[in-house]
This record gives sequence, C-alpha cells and structure tokens, in this order.
Amino acid sequence: MKIKISEKLDDLSDLLDEIKKSSDEIGSIIIFVGSVRGISNKGEKVLRLEYEAYEKVAVKTLENIIADLKDKYGIIDAVIEHKVGSARVGEDTVYALVASKHRKEGFESLIEFIERLKHEVPIWKKEITEKGSSWIENI
Amino acid sequence: MIKVKVKYFGRLRELLGVREEEYNVVDETTLADLLLNHIPSRHKDSATDWKESLFVTIRGEVAVDKNGIPVLKNHVILVRGKTQDLTYMLRNGDEIAILPPVGGGANED
Repeated sequence: MKIKISEKLDDLSDLLDEIKKSSDEIGSIIIFVGSVRGISNKGEKVLRLEYEAYEKVAVKTLENIIADLKDKYGIIDAVIEHKVGSARVGEDTVYALVASKHRKEGFESLIEFIERLKHEVPIWKKEITEKGSSWIENI
Repeated sequence: MIKVKVKYFGRLRELLGVREEEYNVVDETTLADLLLNHIPSRHKDSATDWKESLFVTIRGEVAVDKNGIPVLKNHVILVRGKTQDLTYMLRNGDEIAILPPVGGGANED
C-alpha cells in the first residue's frame, strides 16, 4: 500500500513497477489517472485547479478505504497519489492503481475507490476559470 | 483556561483569511460555543458569512434541532481527528478541524 499527498506526483511507470513487485499473485493492475479538464461543467475555459488537503486525516481515511477494498473485493494491493497545490490544464492530479488476481475485482474496486476518494477524503478543489473561481464540492 | 487550535480549509480558510489559530476558552466551553460565539467574535467582518456557510439558517438566525443544538450545513467537525457533535466540551490541547464538503479527485465528472 502506498499513499502520497504531495505537490509532485511520482512517475506513473515507477508506481506500476512498484505495485507489480508487491506479490507474484497479481494478474491484473487497473490504473486511474485523473487530470485537469480544460472546460468546466459550466462550459467555461479552465485556467487551473488548486487543491488543499487535511493531510494527516486524508492519509488515514485512504488507509481505511484501501483496507475496506481488500476485505470487500480481495484485491492484493493499491496505490494512491493525489496532488495538492496548483495544477494546470492537462496536468495529472490523481494516480490510483489497484492490483488483483483477476480484472473483475480490479475494475469494481477501482470505481469504488475513486468514488470514496471524492466523497470521504478531506481534499478540496478550487476551479479557476476565465470568468472567476469557485470551490468544487462533490455532494 | 483551555487552549485549543482550530484549523480551516477550503472556502472557510479563504473566508477567514487564516489557516489555523488558537483560542483560549473557559472550562465547559462546547464546540457550539466555539463555532457560534468565539470564532465570529474574532472575525467580525466575516461573522455573517461564517454562520451562513457553516449552519442552516432561517431568516438569518441559526436553526436548532429539537434539543436546541445548532444544525450544521454539510460540514464535519473533527476533534483530534475524530468526528464530534456540537455538544462536545473542549479539552486543553484539542485540535479542531472544520471541514467543508470535500471535493478531491480531478474535474473529470
């Protein structure tokens, strides 16, 4: 398990190599990459996103989520990295990797992982567009 | 006296213009006292926005439940990393984090 909240994400290929090494039972690795979209939900041109986190609680919450996913889906390992600070359009802001024996539990658990990340983990996102700025709340 | 640290995030941090600050309060001060009295008293210019951001209000007044406890609006209050309700009595050294609705992830949906 690797959890990182940082202004700089690691190289995705390094994360892939790392998770592959965690067990020789792994037959599937599903990867989610979140990046900054250039057009907002209101159709405005996005200039950048700004993230902030309550880091120690965010890390603990992510640990609990991964433990739940291991129990529920039997996945072998998971990695999550989330950016904080300013992110330009096109920049990667989230890497989530789930390693499992088979693809089915990998896909299912990754969907739940990202949904819970968005709704439970204390990370906030401000969208700055050419028309102004607003905090985005996933409620 | 009891000394506590309060941490703000997201729109609340922006509203008050501070990431964290300390408060000295008397014994038996509750979370509700801190949120409804101490913090707005220190941030008078933002007091109305603060109450309307954090609490359900009716015609400008903070709504209370059947037990007389103020009703939060989609916010979570953590004390030492654990959720507490507004009747919690502050203890010396508490770290209180006021969390607006979260919004992590990318802006992909």
